[in-house]
Amino acid sequence: MKSLRRDSSSDPHTANVTSKIFVRSTKSGKVQKIVRELYLRQDIPCSSKLCSTCPSVAPADANGNIAPFVLSEHPAGTTAFPRGHYLVPDTNALLNGMDLFEHTGAFYDVIVLQTVLEELKNQSLPLYNRLLALIKTDEKRFYLFFNEFRMETHVRRGQNESINDRNDRAVRAVATWYTEHLRAAAKKGKKEKTVPAIVVITDDKDSLRKAKEENVTALSLTDYVSGLEDSDRLLDMINESREQREVKGARGEMFYPEYYTMSKIMTGLRAGTLHQGIFNVSPYNYLEGSVNVAAFDKPLIILGRDNSNRAISGDAVVIEVLPKDQWKSPSTKIVDEEAVTKNDNPEAEDNEAVVPERERKALQEEVRKAHGKSTEGRPQPTAKVVGVIKRNWRQYVGHVDSGSTGSQASSGRRQQNVFVLPMDKRVPKIRVRTRQASELLGQRILVTIDAWDRDSRYPTGHFIRSLGELETKGAETEALLLEYDVQYKPFPKAVLDCLPAEGHDWRVPASKEDIGWKGRRDLRDLLICSIDPPGCQDIDDALHARPLPNGNFEVGVHIADVSHFVKPNNAMDLEASLRGTTVYLVDKRIDMLPHLLGTDLCSLKPYVERYAFSVLWEMTPNAEVVSTDFTKSVIRSREAFSYEQAQMRIDDPSKKDELTESMRTLLRFSKILRQKRMDAGALNLASPEVRIEADNDEVGDPLTDVKTKAMLATNSLVEEFMLHANITVAAKIYSTFSQTAMLRRHATPPPQNFEELISQLSKKRDMRLDVSSSRALADSLDQCVDAKNPFFNTLVRILATRCMTSAEYFCAGAHAESEFRHYGLASPIYTHFTSPIRRYADLLVHRQLASAIGYEGEDGRAIVEGVMTRNRLEDICRNINYRHRNAQHAGRASIEYYVGQALKARGEKLSANGVDGGIEEEGYVMRVFENGVVVFVPRFGIEGVVRLEDFVLKGDSALRSVEERRELVVRRESDFDNEEYTLQVSDKGHPDQGMSVELFQRVTVNVSSVKEESGRGAGKRRVRVLILGAQN
Amino acid sequence: MAAQRQASSASQTPHISPAELSYLYTSLGLPGSPIRPDGRSATQFRPLTAETDILPGTNGSARVGFADGTQAIVGVKAEVEKTVVSADALKLPQQTQEEYAGNDDSEGNQGSSSGHGSWVQMSIEIPGFRDDDALPVFLSEMMREPLVESVSNEGSGNGEMAGGLKGRLVINKRWHWRLYIDVLLLSQPQSYPLPLLSLTTHLALLSTKLPKLKSQGEEDPFFDDDWDAAEYLYPRSTTTAFPTCSQKVRPPVTLLVVSVGENIIFDPDREEIAVADTVLAISITRDSDSDNLKLVSIRTIDPPSRLTQPGVPNSENVTTLGSTAAAEAVVLNPSTGEDEVPGVWRPRRGGVKRSTVARMVKLVLEKGGVGEEVLEGLESVQVG
Repeated sequence: MKSLRRDSSSDPHTANVTSKIFVRSTKSGKVQKIVRELYLRQDIPCSSKLCSTCPSVAPADANGNIAPFVLSEHPAGTTAFPRGHYLVPDTNALLNGMDLFEHTGAFYDVIVLQTVLEELKNQSLPLYNRLLALIKTDEKRFYLFFNEFRMETHVRRGQNESINDRNDRAVRAVATWYTEHLRAAAKKGKKEKTVPAIVVITDDKDSLRKAKEENVTALSLTDYVSGLEDSDRLLDMINESREQREVKGARGEMFYPEYYTMSKIMTGLRAGTLHQGIFNVSPYNYLEGSVNVAAFDKPLIILGRDNSNRAISGDAVVIEVLPKDQWKSPSTKIVDEEAVTKNDNPEAEDNEAVVPERERKALQEEVRKAHGKSTEGRPQPTAKVVGVIKRNWRQYVGHVDSGSTGSQASSGRRQQNVFVLPMDKRVPKIRVRTRQASELLGQRILVTIDAWDRDSRYPTGHFIRSLGELETKGAETEALLLEYDVQYKPFPKAVLDCLPAEGHDWRVPASKEDIGWKGRRDLRDLLICSIDPPGCQDIDDALHARPLPNGNFEVGVHIADVSHFVKPNNAMDLEASLRGTTVYLVDKRIDMLPHLLGTDLCSLKPYVERYAFSVLWEMTPNAEVVSTDFTKSVIRSREAFSYEQAQMRIDDPSKKDELTESMRTLLRFSKILRQKRMDAGALNLASPEVRIEADNDEVGDPLTDVKTKAMLATNSLVEEFMLHANITVAAKIYSTFSQTAMLRRHATPPPQNFEELISQLSKKRDMRLDVSSSRALADSLDQCVDAKNPFFNTLVRILATRCMTSAEYFCAGAHAESEFRHYGLASPIYTHFTSPIRRYADLLVHRQLASAIGYEGEDGRAIVEGVMTRNRLEDICRNINYRHRNAQHAGRASIEYYVGQALKARGEKLSANGVDGGIEEEGYVMRVFENGVVVFVPRFGIEGVVRLEDFVLKGDSALRSVEERRELVVRRESDFDNEEYTLQVSDKGHPDQGMSVELFQRVTVNVSSVKEESGRGAGKRRVRVLILGAQN
Repeated sequence: MAAQRQASSASQTPHISPAELSYLYTSLGLPGSPIRPDGRSATQFRPLTAETDILPGTNGSARVGFADGTQAIVGVKAEVEKTVVSADALKLPQQTQEEYAGNDDSEGNQGSSSGHGSWVQMSIEIPGFRDDDALPVFLSEMMREPLVESVSNEGSGNGEMAGGLKGRLVINKRWHWRLYIDVLLLSQPQSYPLPLLSLTTHLALLSTKLPKLKSQGEEDPFFDDDWDAAEYLYPRSTTTAFPTCSQKVRPPVTLLVVSVGENIIFDPDREEIAVADTVLAISITRDSDSDNLKLVSIRTIDPPSRLTQPGVPNSENVTTLGSTAAAEAVVLNPSTGEDEVPGVWRPRRGGVKRSTVARMVKLVLEKGGVGEEVLEGLESVQVG
């Protein structure tokens, strides 16, 4: 019997054909062997501007152009490579040092291999995306080299060679090829002296050794960076976790249980024994997390570090429900990481346990409670984290914990471990190795988490950059924007190129024959005006009303025609869809669209002609809609009012002109519309909002800038008509795009969300809350009044709002029609149409509406522009929902910060003897914990946690400084009644001199801004609320 | 109609005259040393060439070609499939659930290691035949049966396949591999294709690899995506002292053996089958313990000689009636027990003597016998 083995080496055709074989497991459980043929080529360019051969062979596109070459002719040199160098990083180098590669001070002219890129994609998707972004930018000169497709650099995997070894070999092969290739090219061009070195960056020891043998220049990331200027700062940016793991791998003391294997998780998820959800940490107790899963109607509670097993707030985790005897009730205690783990030493890890005694104690008391008596304390299912599907780690803003820098902080450049306390309290402190500890103290810094291993109590991370000194406006604002992932960089050139060339001189074409007038109605004669907050520059909407001969009225809402200027899928549109919304901070606005459009060309400024998208109704005097019309139009606003101005004009009986009359009509109609909406069951919700009017006067009390939002009739006028327009448009686009209409819904909250509030109300105030429908809820909320306490109703509304789900954008095909309902507005269908300058959703809706009414636009493409695939739309919805939420949080945080600053400024001005006396205000108890309460101060719209020591009792009213009060904590004792929501605070041994507070109670508080003077977190400023006494 | 029926028997009978048949029979039946039309010895195989791993898209494949131009290609594909829980397993659903939730580590090997024969599916394509024709169906069942039923002695460790091929296909209690063996005959069958197809299948299975399992126990299976890490379906011992014998367990091989008179002839060609008294398909495999060969199955195949036209002896021939040549003696054929006129063909009626079968089996199994020769030949083919 003869055996044959085909020998392919002699066949000339096989040299450039090879195949890649791998196993693919599909979602349905199929396992396939996949064979991909690779046809190797020789025309993939090296992309170095030094090379004279590649430009002649590089493949050209259809127009005969070849891609511009990326790598510089004169790459930067270092002391080691005076003639300049190109970098070839391997996958690990990118994993460990992506921040370095993004750094603008170094790391130019980098050759990114296809092999490396693919490997990176498998290991970390976020890093992969960051690398792609780097390759796209021109300034860093990153070149993606398709080494697997080039014949000379393709590497066949040898027998018994691991994939890693093969990939490392591929990296070295590329380095070798580049060296020879460039040398040959230089020889041709007689520039031999200038050939740059090819430097492989790898942290793999084996690869470094082999590189030496093969005569390839290779350096570890650390060695390379050490040779650069400013190396101390750069070295801090290397991901340390891998190295460390190698060092201490042998010790093997594990603090956390291991995660389940992927297959075990998948089996469990399919079988329903494990659940998947997003891990959320309680803002009051860092040891308590919760996960919402489909199988349970209440969130599952995750208590303690052991159970949360290295999950960080925001991670997508897999959890296992614990046996029933371990079920507990949610925490009734405020537990702050800063307070509990005060003395941890970041360097010493040897004798630390996962759950130190202090933490265990904090938890144990709750277990006792769980087995307590009745409804409120009924244990809830608890769970433990057994796996992480997706880490949602981002970059965190924080500051170095001064207590952790140790005594040798000043001893110079030694590398040491410090703890960074993230601004977000739900994120545990991060252990960071740094050589610049002393400089970073007192700075706002940006760090990232690299890993959280089983043998480390805290996650390890590395430093990225400093934002500036704590408390400075610039640093704090940037911190805020970073924390809420707001894109605040200036618009890139590609976006600005999309603006009309005329700039501010752009005008509506004078001639009606002009193409710009095509399909537009001339509404310049109408008496249109806009009503906005004072100082508003981006005017989205304007209104008009006029009587018709038949006794009815024509009412029009005119919205800035942004879609005329922002064409789909150009750079500006993509940027806007990413930003999603304009973010308003107290002293800053981060625009979604470039300034020129937002505040000028689109803005419906008075006295000038502007393009608009108009919704026109014919209404009976009773505000019944007779007919609706949508049209693109040209308008000329007669006046831009502020709410106050409009109100005054309406109220002024001497004004009898047409414009004022039309506003009076609008006001009258708006009241009818509002009543109708209320009758339908719309909710009047409240959120604790204050407004900051920053007029920068240095004299006087800074706190006067802080104003609670006043509601004028004209506010509601505009609001009603916008709601009405939105609803009308929603119905229209849904009728045309039954699958892809961009809509907004507010899901009916599940009744169990209200359980706690209902029981609190019935117990404390004997009030009933009916949550069976929005109508019933609205009515019962109206009943929740306390004659002696006018704010009580608002308080209940705030609390009720928190029980609800948040509204969201969605694509019509994603839900059944019955689910479209907007609960809060009691409207069966809703969308956002009226603010296209500041919201991307509105812009999309504009395109859809234009398409729905058959508007063709200048180039006849408008009909197509409204059409979108559902997938794309769902992606956009996901993004803008996220951006929207973040924008709200950022705005709120900005106000909070401003209030703190105003308090501080006031304190500095008024304090006589260096001690800030604070300001006395009314507050309301919102939540009662075992060791403190949460008080809401409506004057400033802030919520403050009041701990035991911050209850001012009779004996200690003189003690005001933070340190003095802190000493009180050991003397305090409390008696907490979980059932009655009361907390009795007293000094030990003097129960008669105590103070008792209960839920919903009005208390007198002292609000001040204090700075931690010593100990941990020194230099950190916070708003402190002291309870002075209870009011009836 | 006649062609259809013929197809079910050993092969299409060549159109050979009764005189030729008789001549063939006589020369093959010569006591002691048969004379075969192509000059081979009784146990000699036709020369063949073989190669493996020719189809990159399959889990394993092989091609075998005889010198006469007959070629076969076999591709093996494997697929993960959910095991349908049998009735007795359903009796304790809660218990299994608990076992699953609680201690996954104790994977109960009991019961789970016995696979099911239907997990191996074989389809044979022969040019000119429909896939539901009798010949392909019959052939595939004849090859599949020894494949799934050959169970080596259990529990003797190292490179062993507990439960044979069926057992190897078990992933865990709820999942198993399903094997599709696609056999393709590339030319018109010159002779009964069974040995060719069997050898090819044998080699294809040897080269078959399954993705490496990463999950453990009763978890949903999860595999390594590196094909180089894939493991052979028939495990190989890592210590290759004898490189030719790296596998301890090998799939069985089916040989075609015919008897003509007292002679036993291996690897018969079409003409030889046409005159054979008996045709047997004997499946053998190497016994992993003793290194001896082991009989897996014997099947008798309907000999095509049954359907041939008989020759007419002179005594019955009208044209020669009364002539002197008619005085031929009737002789008893010892192998069939029938009276025959030498030189005059009589179709065989089938039936085989016990002793003949015994001799055939002995020839195959004995040390240094034909079976060993074939297996050694196959083992010398480079696999993988």
